[in-house]
Amino acid sequence: MESTNNPKARSSRWSSVLTDVHFWVPVAVLIAGLFLLSFTH
Amino acid sequence: MASEAQPLSSAAAQDISRAKKLQLLGILSGFTAGAWLGAAEAPTKLVSIGISPIAISLIMVMGVFLARWSLPALILGTSSVRADVRRAPHLIIWAILAGCLWAVANTLTVFAIRDIGLSIAFPLWNSNSLLGILWGFLFFNELRQAGWRRWTGVLGGALIMCAGATLLAVASSTQGPTGHSFRGVWAALGAGVLWGTMYIPYRKAYLTGMNPLSFVTFFTFGELGMMSALAIGYTGVTPLWQELISARGVIFWLMLGGFIWVIGDLFQQYAAKYVGISRGIPLSNSNQLWGLLWGIFVFGELHGRSSSTYAQVIGGSLLMMLGVGAVAFSSASGEEQTHWKEAAQREGRRYGVAADYVEARMDGRQAAGESAPSRSVWDWLLVAAATAIFVVFASMARVPQLSLNLVPAALLTTALLVLLFICTLALWRTTRFH
Repeated sequence: MESTNNPKARSSRWSSVLTDVHFWVPVAVLIAGLFLLSFTH
Repeated sequence: MASEAQPLSSAAAQDISRAKKLQLLGILSGFTAGAWLGAAEAPTKLVSIGISPIAISLIMVMGVFLARWSLPALILGTSSVRADVRRAPHLIIWAILAGCLWAVANTLTVFAIRDIGLSIAFPLWNSNSLLGILWGFLFFNELRQAGWRRWTGVLGGALIMCAGATLLAVASSTQGPTGHSFRGVWAALGAGVLWGTMYIPYRKAYLTGMNPLSFVTFFTFGELGMMSALAIGYTGVTPLWQELISARGVIFWLMLGGFIWVIGDLFQQYAAKYVGISRGIPLSNSNQLWGLLWGIFVFGELHGRSSSTYAQVIGGSLLMMLGVGAVAFSSASGEEQTHWKEAAQREGRRYGVAADYVEARMDGRQAAGESAPSRSVWDWLLVAAATAIFVVFASMARVPQLSLNLVPAALLTTALLVLLFICTLALWRTTRFH
């Protein structure tokens, strides 16, 4: 069973996030949204 | 053999019954979310009395911030939030990211309302459901092995919704109150894309076991931080402060709008958790119909327009609702739910979250060994402080100079309260708000 107390899992948490496509898709959409907002405003 | 098989089939039957119950709960949550989210848009009508859209958005988000901390503290207590974060700390990043997406989308909707009106802007940004279906399928195994009937329901429903949105967009070309209909359409569609994408973090959080009430408490840092940055960036600190001071008579109404929004959003979170984003978003997008009811009957929004405009707006809305219904009746099969569980296991493995915790929370219950949520004196202080802030602004409030029809407003409010009672009771009985 996996545990959040696993130090290995904890240390690699950031790299897991930064290599996750689920993270970059919302980031890209957020940046595009900010551009659209500046156009609309 | 028979005696061994009997308990197994009984457990399987219980699992199927539980899954059906959670699906129904998700559908009910989605409809309740629609009613409350639709009602929350009504205060943005204050745009017409001279406050900048950015300031309106910021004030609403202040109300949202208060609600996103005080409601979870009241319902489960902040100890439950802390426990969730200890198990899946990476989800804080997702929650803040989703909050940023929400803030930008919400600001775009205010511009969209200003340029093309509430009745038209609503269905356009509600196109986010199409994107939600795509993300749900691509990233979270939704609609996998769903069978042709469910695929037809979801895709057919989505296409009907597209037709309805197109009809409403055509109507908008002659209805821009300030002559910026093209810009308003883009703002509304952009908000839809941002909101549709915002459901990626939602689904990720719930597949990994986080309680919706925990998720929103961190989500709100993203929305308040982003909204404050936008407001300061576009307006400047001193002009913004002066605008807030001059708007103190309507701050309460806007914060109340934010508070109502949070109630709707909480139900939306439970819908996303229990029926997935491909179905949960269209269900909560029934807010379009509620927004239309408030706009037409309470604010007299389409008064004086031509009959063809009425036909386009009402026909388009009905088409969209038909699509929503088709999606709602395409609930996930056992095979599809197996794929959901696989996606949850994948998330658990990637981020090192305990498998029993993920499984229990997907099933709407606490994991073994988890302590029961409890409220401390700090939770009550938090609730009292939020209430006091609302009371202070209520004492400064003046009734906006808008022509309102009170009887329809009272009827719609009663409907909201009935839905709130029924859905809250169902959530408590079935999941204890997990």
